Amino acid sequence: MPVAANTRNFSIIAHIDHGKTTLSDRLLEKTSTVTMREMTAQHLDAMDLERERGITIKCHPVTMMYQSKNGQVYKLNLIDTPGHVDFAYEVSRSLAACEGAVILVDAAQGVEAQTVANHHLALEQKLTIIPVINKIDLPSANLPAVNKQLEDILMIPHEEAIKASAKMGIGIEDILEAVIERVPPPTVPEDGLLRASVFDSVFDSYRGVVMYVRVVSGTLKRGTGITMYATNNSYEVKEVGIFTPKQLKTDLLEAGDVGYVVANLKSTGEVKIGDTIMETSRMAKEPLPGFKEIQPMVFSGIYPVSSDDFEQLKLAMGKLQINDSAFKFQQESSAALGFGFRCGFLGLLHMEIVVERLRREYDMDIISTYPSVVYEITLASGDELKIDNPTYMPDPGTMLEIREPVVRAFILIPNECIGDIMQLVAEKRGILENTETLDASRVMLTCTLPLNEILVDFNDKLKSITRGYGSMDYEHHGFRAEKLVKMEMLVNGEPVDAFATIVHRDKAEARGRALAKKLVDVIPKQLFTVAIQAAIGGKIIARESIGSMGKNVTAKCYGGDISRKRKLLEKQKEGKKRMKMIGKVNIPQEAFVAVLKTGD
Amino acid sequence: MIRHLYVHIPFCHRICPYCSFYKHEPGSTDTAAFLNALTVEALAARRKWGRRIELETVYFGGGTPTMLSTTHLERWLPEFRAALGIEEVKEWTVEINPRTIDARKAEALLGAGVTRASLGVQAWDQSSLTVLGRDHAPEEAEEAYQVLRSACFPVVSLDLMFAVPGQTLEAWQYSLRRSLALQPDHLSAYNLTYEEDTAFFEKFTRGEYVRDENVDGAFFTEAMRMTGEAGYRHYEISNYARPGFESRHNQSYWSGEDYLGLGPGAVSTVDRRRWKNVENTVLYMQDPLSGGLGEKAAEHLTDEQWACERIALELRTARGVEISWLPDGSRMQDVVQGGLAEIAGDRLRLTKQGKCVADSVVAHLWV
Repeated sequence: MPVAANTRNFSIIAHIDHGKTTLSDRLLEKTSTVTMREMTAQHLDAMDLERERGITIKCHPVTMMYQSKNGQVYKLNLIDTPGHVDFAYEVSRSLAACEGAVILVDAAQGVEAQTVANHHLALEQKLTIIPVINKIDLPSANLPAVNKQLEDILMIPHEEAIKASAKMGIGIEDILEAVIERVPPPTVPEDGLLRASVFDSVFDSYRGVVMYVRVVSGTLKRGTGITMYATNNSYEVKEVGIFTPKQLKTDLLEAGDVGYVVANLKSTGEVKIGDTIMETSRMAKEPLPGFKEIQPMVFSGIYPVSSDDFEQLKLAMGKLQINDSAFKFQQESSAALGFGFRCGFLGLLHMEIVVERLRREYDMDIISTYPSVVYEITLASGDELKIDNPTYMPDPGTMLEIREPVVRAFILIPNECIGDIMQLVAEKRGILENTETLDASRVMLTCTLPLNEILVDFNDKLKSITRGYGSMDYEHHGFRAEKLVKMEMLVNGEPVDAFATIVHRDKAEARGRALAKKLVDVIPKQLFTVAIQAAIGGKIIARESIGSMGKNVTAKCYGGDISRKRKLLEKQKEGKKRMKMIGKVNIPQEAFVAVLKTGD
Repeated sequence: MIRHLYVHIPFCHRICPYCSFYKHEPGSTDTAAFLNALTVEALAARRKWGRRIELETVYFGGGTPTMLSTTHLERWLPEFRAALGIEEVKEWTVEINPRTIDARKAEALLGAGVTRASLGVQAWDQSSLTVLGRDHAPEEAEEAYQVLRSACFPVVSLDLMFAVPGQTLEAWQYSLRRSLALQPDHLSAYNLTYEEDTAFFEKFTRGEYVRDENVDGAFFTEAMRMTGEAGYRHYEISNYARPGFESRHNQSYWSGEDYLGLGPGAVSTVDRRRWKNVENTVLYMQDPLSGGLGEKAAEHLTDEQWACERIALELRTARGVEISWLPDGSRMQDVVQGGLAEIAGDRLRLTKQGKCVADSVVAHLWV
């Protein structure tokens, strides 16, 4: 098969803070893709949130021209990928657009959980791996230890590793040369038919959807009539170009190229990541492999604090979705919270980002309910069911089996924490698969854990037990049947749907008690004593009560006092609009947030 | 008809650290000129409202109305009566400070038509008096009471405060006992509250003073018990009277009748419009007409606001609030079932238990 001999497609994968962005910046600089004057730190992370959190959410491809020591000029396409597991599908699509991956390891910190998880993904895509040990200039750098980790954990001969310091500009050329030497050029099917794989998309308010593509075969140019294989929708190409990293219009994209295509698509919802673009008049018989629909893994209800904001929230979510097709939402109503939306996310981080963007960029005052995962249920009738909202869990009598999603987690921790972490894993219903000693000070635990158990505070606990030194990453690992029950919280005998959760039967009592106690703390005293109960299928498993208030009477109510008293009541009434009235009890917004923070 | 009149005398010898009413030390204020300004405002009010004014009750509050000298009172009161065409009123109250009353002044007030004396005792124990910044000793309050009784005031009322910082339940019982021993016709017992712009409020926000709803409740319950045993009727949250001695003037506020207020900082409400005179004695004296009848900034009470006030005020009284004012019947059922209120004819009234959480009951019914 012919190849695009002078093209290399690669990506950089790394644990957070191991210097991926700095290295990308250096590569741009070295290839003069970005002049020194244009350089601002973190060139590829565009969104404010990305900069703040030091994470990459969207893909940031860039095409660099580089003259190798061998005298030839190469076109190097760097596809910077989101590192977080929430975006694993995007990562895998981005990696699918590459033939090689640079695995970056911090010389002081060594291999971390995310390095392991991303390395797995790269191997699945059969990529050529170029290990790079970064930050060798640090006084705390420990090369022998990192070399050993590369061999023991990632099975990479340490001789292959390039020693570098992106910050100091050491080893940058070696990396570029290694990409050229070790990464194979993309192969091109001979038939000349157009096949381009879409690995990301963004929305541009002037041009509509901009698709990020890798052209595997054929050519793409303005005027080409194209058809998206998965949706079978046809469009006409308006513009093509490459990333420098800014979008730069070009005449055409050919086999081996990574670039963008604009073809008047109105919303990113019309694009399926992983889909194949073909030429309408000369369709290829088979699409490129690897396409699948993105399935949200985590669900939560998002409600406006004030019901007047419902339409505005809907609008804001619509706008968000234009640029984030993985975010799903659909109208629902809760007895406790009124009208709102059931939202699906790739994971917790994705959920946090969406909620934060709604608050920050769209100025929405919202309540998000306790996150839930998707459960698979087999009914006695033989029907299969999936639920993402505990409220809709069928009557236990009608269910044969309920299965919850499980992840395989890689947890890297200091040796001395192993006992506490194993206990934490056990508390979270985890099953330990393997324990590996990384070096004199660290171990890696591989275990399966219910996704539901790591949703809220697992990472916080891991960090606090290991005083910040532990790290965790995971990959999805199917579903597992468990004794799961729906636990309801009752306020004065009335179930509050927004507080319902699905929990493991063995943990229900403890969680019910913790939740009831928490609610007692956050719900203010009312006129009457309020009973807070946790119940499973009508059976009360925990009970607390909020005593009634003591005394409150305004002392004087004469001439001038009257307006003051009334204004106070008017203010109270305004405040009450922001509370939810359930079973004659005013539940303040904080209660819904507090429930989120009750781990177990 | 405007049947009720309030007159505000803003002078005090000493500023009490808990008081949030408009008041100040007299300084170099020309008292005669101040009184003249009141007369001017009264004349203007009469011109404006004409026959709509048919006074039944008058109330002189402050500040300290008895800071006016006997001479000033003797000279001015008849002039003021004439300005408003006051023939005979059913009730004319003057707030009296124990240190600024004597037999002559009491005579002067009675002679001018005053029928009711409200004596600011506040407490009978010296330590509470000191905390409250009152300048009278318990014996002086007792003496003042005897002066009023000797002058044969038709009605004498005592003002007390509870939940004063440092005050024990025993000290409060003592204050109640000693008050009741004097057999006043009427007793007001106010829960100390921390009002903005007072020295107490600052201490409260700094955490030096704290409110404890359970302590407040115990004091309040004790007041209800002891006054009840002594034959007083608890006719409003903070007020107790021997039957037939309830304050007509104050009841008019609660039942939503029109009233006029004269003097700096005084509030008026007529035809569901409420306005407040300028809270500045100097400005008021310069222009008692615009300061006094300056209704430009009047608040127009909507039906909803009016209903809110009716509930908030009338529910505090023994006869309760007319059920027709309540916006939500189910809310009423809640408080009735909870034993906080009971239905009597077409009215809803608080039970003893409900009186302790009156504000919350109001909030539940209206908010």
